[in-house]
Amino acid sequence: MWYVGDLMKNLLHLTKKQSHWLDFLLVMTKKEIKARYKHATLGFLWIVINPLLQMMVMGFVFQFFVPVRVDNYFLFLFAGLLPWNFFAQSLTKCTPAFFYERNLVKKAKFPREAIVLSIILSNLFHFLIALVLLVGALVADKLFVEGYGMLALFSYLGRMLWLLPAILLLLIFTVGLSLFTSSLNVRFRDVNFIVQLAVMLWFYATPVIYALNLLPDLLWPVFYLNPMTFIVELFHYALMGLPITLLEFSWVGLLVIFYLFYLGWWVFGRESKNFDDWL
Amino acid sequence: MTTLKEEIIRKSKNLGEVVINLKGVGKKYIVHHEKPTLAEDVGRVLRFQPREEYWALQDVNLQIRKGEKVGFHGPNGAGKTTLLKIIAGISAPTTGKVKTKGRIISLIDLEAGFHPDLTGQENIFLNGLVIGMSREETKAKFAQIVDFAGIGDFITAPLYTYSSGMKLRLGFSVAVHAEPDILLLDEVMNMGDEKFRKKSEKTIQDMIENETTVLMVSQWRDFLKKNCNKLIELENLSSNNT
Repeated sequence: MWYVGDLMKNLLHLTKKQSHWLDFLLVMTKKEIKARYKHATLGFLWIVINPLLQMMVMGFVFQFFVPVRVDNYFLFLFAGLLPWNFFAQSLTKCTPAFFYERNLVKKAKFPREAIVLSIILSNLFHFLIALVLLVGALVADKLFVEGYGMLALFSYLGRMLWLLPAILLLLIFTVGLSLFTSSLNVRFRDVNFIVQLAVMLWFYATPVIYALNLLPDLLWPVFYLNPMTFIVELFHYALMGLPITLLEFSWVGLLVIFYLFYLGWWVFGRESKNFDDWL
Repeated sequence: MTTLKEEIIRKSKNLGEVVINLKGVGKKYIVHHEKPTLAEDVGRVLRFQPREEYWALQDVNLQIRKGEKVGFHGPNGAGKTTLLKIIAGISAPTTGKVKTKGRIISLIDLEAGFHPDLTGQENIFLNGLVIGMSREETKAKFAQIVDFAGIGDFITAPLYTYSSGMKLRLGFSVAVHAEPDILLLDEVMNMGDEKFRKKSEKTIQDMIENETTVLMVSQWRDFLKKNCNKLIELENLSSNNT
C-alpha cells in the first residue's frame, strides 16, 4: 500500500501538502481495512464468503419468482451484486461517518474528506479482490471447460476491459453521493435514516436481481435516471456480454453521476468548515 | 463585544515575525436545544421562528509574534476554547480572517486520533499524520516517541489492552515529538503517574523556554503569570443576542 503511495508521489511530483494528504488517506484506509477483520477468525476470507453466500441465497429464492432469461442466473446475480454491495455498503457506512468520528473532527485539524474516502477505498479494496477472483474463475471456465482458443480468449478479455470504466464510474458516483449525504448528516441526522431506507428501495430499482428486458419497454428510460442502472448493466456487459438495454440513454446516467460528484464536493466544501459547530 | 485586555508580564527579548494574526474574528453559533434534525428545522421555518444565535466571539483582533508565550484567562463562556479552536483551524470563524504560520499542535485531546484495534506502533503513525507530521518524519522519530512514552513491549499490542495512563503517555509523546512551531495548551492536563508527569512538565517547560510560540488557556492565574510574558483577559460582554 505504501508502495502505491510512494509511486504516486514520485510520478506526480506531489507537494509536501499533497503527499501528506495522500499518506493520511492511506493510513486511514489501512486502519479501516485492518480494524474490520481484526477479531474475525476467518479474517479476509469473509470478503469472498459474504457475496458468495448472498448470491446463493438470493439465486435460490429469486429463481422461482423472477424469470430472467439469461444463461447463468447465478453469475448474473453475482456480477450485479458485487458493484451494488460496494455502493450500498459504502453509502450506508459513510453517511453517519463524520458523526461517528466526532472525537477526531472536534479535536484535530486534518482533511475531513479522508474519513469518507478511506471508507470507500477500503470497500474498493474488498470489492476488487472479489472481482479479481470472479474474473479468474470466469477465465478458467472458458479455458478449461469450454475450451476457448487463444483468439476467442483474447476477445473475451478485451470485453472485460470495460470493467475499468465501470469501476471508475461506480467509484465517482459513490464518492459524490457519500460526501453529499455525510456532510448533510452532520446537521440533519435524519439523513442517515432516509439513506438506510432509500438504499433498501434503491436495490429493487436497480437491475440486479432482474434484467430490464423483463419490464415493459416504456419504463426503460425512467430506469436510466438511476445511475446504478447503467453501472450495473456495464458490469453485466463486461462480465457476461449482455447488451446495455438502452445505450442511447446512458448519457443520462453519466450526467447524473458527474453532477452528483460535483454537488457532493460542493456541499462538503461548504459544510465541512463548520462541522465542529454541529457535532 | 468580546474584549481583550492585554497585560504585559515581562518583555520578551527578541520578538520575531507575526505568526498568528486575527482580524475582526467573530464566531456565531446556532443554539439548538435538542439534537438537530430536519423535522426541527422544518418546524422552525413553518412557525416563522428565527434561528437562535449566539456570538461566542466578536470582533477579535490579535497579533502574536514568534516565541511569545501568551496566557488566556477569563470566566467560563468567554470564548477561550473557541479562540484556540479557531487558531488551530478546527473551527472556521464566521467573520474575519485568521492567518497562521508554522505547525500548530494542540494538546487538547491527546487520544483523539487513536484506534483501539490497532497496535501502539500503528497508532503512532495514525496519530502522527492526524496532527500533521509526515510519514517519513514519524518514522525518523519513532524510536524516540516509543522511548519517551515508556510503554516497552506493549508497542506491538493493540491499544485496547493499554491502561488509560499508557494511552495518555503515548498521545503526549507523539504530540511533543511533532516539534510544533505553535503549541496550544488547554487547561492543566492530567499526565499519568508521578514520574511521567515530571517528565512531561519538563518537556513543556523546555518548549516554553525555547522559541516555540505557546498559547495556554487556564483558570489558574498564577500558573499563567509564572509561564507567560503576556496575559490576555477575555470577556464576552454580549453573552446572548438572538
